[in-house]
Amino acid sequence: MFETRSVRPGGGGGASATASASPAATAAATALRAVPRERAAFAGLVLIYIALIGLCLGTLVAAGDLSFGRSPWQNLVKSVGEFARPSVLDVWFGPERLEFRSDDGALLRVENRRAVETAFVAAVGRATWVTFQIATLGSLLAAVLALPLGLLTARNLNAPRPLAWAANGVLGTARAVHTLVFGLVLVGVVGLGPTAGILAIALHSMGTYGKLYAESIEALDMAAIDAVRATGATPLQVFFNAVWPAVLPQFVGNHLYVWEFNIRDSTILGLIGAGGLGLLISEAVSLFQWSRLATLLLVVIVLVMAFDAVSRRIRKALL
Amino acid sequence: MSARPSIGDASVPTGHVPAPAGRAQSPAGHAQSPVRDTPARPDPVIRLDQVQVRVGPHALLQVEGLTIAPGERVAVVGPNGAGKSTLLRLLSGAVATRQGSVRVLGREIGPQARVPLTRVQWRALRAELGLVMQGLHLVPRLTARENVLIGGLARLRGLDAWRGWVRWHRPEVRAQADAALDALGLSARAGTRADRLSGGERQKVGVARLRLQQPRLILADEPTSALDPHAVRQVCAVLRDTAGAGTLVSVLHQREVLPQLATRVIGMAGGRIVWDLPIDAVDDARLDGLYRLSGACRAEATATSHVPDPVGARPANAARPIVHPSKESHP
Repeated sequence: MFETRSVRPGGGGGASATASASPAATAAATALRAVPRERAAFAGLVLIYIALIGLCLGTLVAAGDLSFGRSPWQNLVKSVGEFARPSVLDVWFGPERLEFRSDDGALLRVENRRAVETAFVAAVGRATWVTFQIATLGSLLAAVLALPLGLLTARNLNAPRPLAWAANGVLGTARAVHTLVFGLVLVGVVGLGPTAGILAIALHSMGTYGKLYAESIEALDMAAIDAVRATGATPLQVFFNAVWPAVLPQFVGNHLYVWEFNIRDSTILGLIGAGGLGLLISEAVSLFQWSRLATLLLVVIVLVMAFDAVSRRIRKALL
Repeated sequence: MSARPSIGDASVPTGHVPAPAGRAQSPAGHAQSPVRDTPARPDPVIRLDQVQVRVGPHALLQVEGLTIAPGERVAVVGPNGAGKSTLLRLLSGAVATRQGSVRVLGREIGPQARVPLTRVQWRALRAELGLVMQGLHLVPRLTARENVLIGGLARLRGLDAWRGWVRWHRPEVRAQADAALDALGLSARAGTRADRLSGGERQKVGVARLRLQQPRLILADEPTSALDPHAVRQVCAVLRDTAGAGTLVSVLHQREVLPQLATRVIGMAGGRIVWDLPIDAVDDARLDGLYRLSGACRAEATATSHVPDPVGARPANAARPIVHPSKESHP
């Protein structure tokens, strides 16, 4: 705190210290005066930011928490090596008779890797569908829940102040609490499974939706709406002919954006028992099955990128 | 259109503060009451009486009296900040005043109204009032044709009104819109989105919208400002045609357009009506004099030139008075 605060006078102090001769001092003073206030303020902000970074790094180093473990390189190489061979390849190239033997050579078990991995891939497929369900239904629920709150918070609609504040508070809380936290609480309330995931996604995204709704409503060209009203159209005609066409593409764009975001989010919701890919991910991590984790991550990446491509195309078409 | 009540000439003492005593006032109580010698004359479309529009201490508009009869073609000329746009906005209900009487299309919309207009009455008034305002905003995502169709919304009845909601108009209505666009040479652009039209094209679409609206009174604020000479003739022809037997009041800057849109010219400067003459009596010298006058007016009301826009930028919402009348004591 003190460090950051001392930065601002620091700049001026330095200038006056170098200016021992009075003409130089006046020159420096005029040069300082020539700098616009906004720029000086911005420079101050940058200095505060730099000081903050220094503070964070310094305290971390001082506490000795900035370490990379005992043998980071070896671990990295090993993990990357296993990542490089995703388990999904075993479906085609895995050994059909993998023999497990005890130390004295007795045959314990024979495993068909191809069959095992095929079953795993089927499980991944089901989990992916659950993840998609969670993201989709959660987003829709959030969009519906956020609509009235967004309307209340949009400043140009002039909702009653207390209501606007309340709505803003609800939306702010929803944004502040992470999906995972909502999920943890909801798993305790509605039990394990996708329902908790859907509700968690809905509660958190509601905050995002509300804000986006309010912003797109605030960005409306009121003059165009007034021009329509000036023709003597009824309020509903005004809404459908002026407000709706302007707002709809933005709403759809927002919805796709948040939906896309939620697909990413819902992949980890399984970590807390809310179903979907996350459950498999946590399993793979706990058992150090990096090749399976690689498969799962591949699925996540493909899923997110595919959705991203589709949503971007739709949003572009709507512009 | 021959005998028109000419009022509010330059001889009106400028320092005079109109003070209609209170709200309950008799309309005949004014010396300037525009009752004239033509008894067969129908009710005026516009009648202003002792109107003042102020923003803080600055008078944007001071009109002792103004009457416009049905079917008149009136042009308002004057330098920037003369109060021309404020006058139009006052007439369209976008600017409210608490002083004087404003009658438009037989309805009192000023402070003299015993009962403020209901929403339905406002809507009916707006439907009869055609506006071409500066920087008329079209709905950007709708096509030119759809923007024109908006003009006809208020006239739709029954099932058609319902179809108007979802912009699924009957072919006959669409044909009207296409005809209106065609009259302005825009038929090729009918399917183009409004935000992809050029400035002049947008202005034309605004005028075409008026044609579907079929208003009794058209208030046009510089309807030809962004247009090329050919387009000016087109727009003027359409405006004249649309006005028909109705009334046309336009703010104009281009001298050569005056005879196309007006038979009566009102010269304004510094928020006041300086002269009000038939078009034949308006020559270059008079116009030049008007524009020179602005220098003198500017000295006493410096802020006036800056203020007009923020006032009118707000919606036509008279329930919320935007302009507060100042203290009566202001000279």
